[in-house]
Amino acid sequence: MEEQLAELAAKLAVVESKSNVTNTMFAETFYYVTIPLMILIHVGFLAYEMGASRTKNVLTSGVKNILAFAFVIPTFYFFGWWVYWGFPTGLTFSEGPAGISGAAYANAIAWGWGESAQYMGPNIVDQASGVFFGAFALFAATTASIMSGAVIERIQTVGFVILAVILGSFAWVVAAAWGWHADGWLVTQFGVHDFGAAGLVHAVAGFFALGVLIVLGPRIGKFNADGTANHIAGHNMPLTVIGLMLIIVGFWGFLMACVIVPGEAWSWFGDKPSTIYGTPITLSALSFNILMAIAGGIIGAWIWTKDPFWMMSGALAGIISCASGLDIYYPALAFIVAFSAGLILRPCADWLERRGIDDAVGAVTVHGTIGLYGVVMLGVFASGFPALQGVAGEAPTISFSGQVVGAVVFGLLGFVPGYISAFILNQLGMLRTPEAAEILGLDPTKVPAQGYPEGIPASLQPAE
Amino acid sequence: MGFPYESASWDVVDGAMFVGAGGAAPGLYTFVAAVICVVVLWKGNKSEHDCYAKVEK
Repeated sequence: MEEQLAELAAKLAVVESKSNVTNTMFAETFYYVTIPLMILIHVGFLAYEMGASRTKNVLTSGVKNILAFAFVIPTFYFFGWWVYWGFPTGLTFSEGPAGISGAAYANAIAWGWGESAQYMGPNIVDQASGVFFGAFALFAATTASIMSGAVIERIQTVGFVILAVILGSFAWVVAAAWGWHADGWLVTQFGVHDFGAAGLVHAVAGFFALGVLIVLGPRIGKFNADGTANHIAGHNMPLTVIGLMLIIVGFWGFLMACVIVPGEAWSWFGDKPSTIYGTPITLSALSFNILMAIAGGIIGAWIWTKDPFWMMSGALAGIISCASGLDIYYPALAFIVAFSAGLILRPCADWLERRGIDDAVGAVTVHGTIGLYGVVMLGVFASGFPALQGVAGEAPTISFSGQVVGAVVFGLLGFVPGYISAFILNQLGMLRTPEAAEILGLDPTKVPAQGYPEGIPASLQPAE
Repeated sequence: MGFPYESASWDVVDGAMFVGAGGAAPGLYTFVAAVICVVVLWKGNKSEHDCYAKVEK
């Protein structure tokens, strides 16, 4: 009998050990897979921006987008990751209530030197830090991509890269520390809830772009003397539309990376996934709501515009408008909110254009305006829902006023650094390309390659 | 440089497993990488402005 018990105990220990390995590998693989999916967002933005450019600027737009990715990744490694862990309680850098924030905590895990370096590279007992870093670094690169399209055809490459680093490795990270972290003061004091980062990624990036656009100025020929706007057509709308659809694919990876999987020491729950706030969520909830949001956004945009560019922008706007509450919206409600975002998209973009803002791809509207719209909509529909894991009566709850506070902070965290950085770069002569270069084309000015060396010839006759 | 343990075996590794772990190397590599980024941007800005100057002539 004792022998049998000892044998059973040994077998149980083996099963437990194997189960732990499975848990750990599942969690690591889950976040790893989000990384290539989010790189598809870049593929999408690359196609989108190049298609929206005139042929004389097509490769410059591509170079810009590629360099944004290339510089945001290492700078996020150098200091961006520290900002997320160091800033949640605000400028005191003190430790928060959950004990996973503040300067001391960030110093221990997020620098590429000293004792902290063990968590910033290959580590045989750490199968989480790298994939978390990777997912966040791709969020950072996404913010830079969002800004990238708005400023095409007249921004200097190096000046743009500096702006991308400020946005991707600092501005949105502060917003995430404050509003997308269990210790974030927007969460603990105002119950701000933004599951899918509509405010802290999309609104921050969109309003950063607005700050830059105000200083950068419009493209030559965009506005007439009487203030009316001319449409500057991109050279390849099909490429732009396919790019937008690829961004939708990548978005699934983005939203997947917003989930905390169960069963690990750092998980909120042992048996179910959660949001970053420790509130429960399932991938099934995401599937229902993301699909309905895409559909609602496309349909809402189609009604006013009938234009495939705006329809696909509507798909994006649909997801962004629901992102804050993808964990708790009813799918039909997600459809309705997304439909409303699709409806207001073109009027909002036109409103901005009438004020002299030349946003070449509508980034300020799709990401900035709709991002804030989404944050506030959650306050309209989900007041009273717990915003953070905790005891009833102690855990903060979602409220309309709290979401408005969050929206204002996110908007300012984007606009203020965008405007100031662009202003400084402009004073240094590093923002706008010279007029002669803009008229000639940026590709012949500074790219040692041609986008279409044979031109874009008409099709030959098909074989008989 | 070199494997930071007495015994040349992965069995003794129980944490960081990268080249230079446990010493000053990670910090040095990080510093050099940062300097590379800054220098490339500085040189890139210079060459970009040379291109603009050619067009403006």
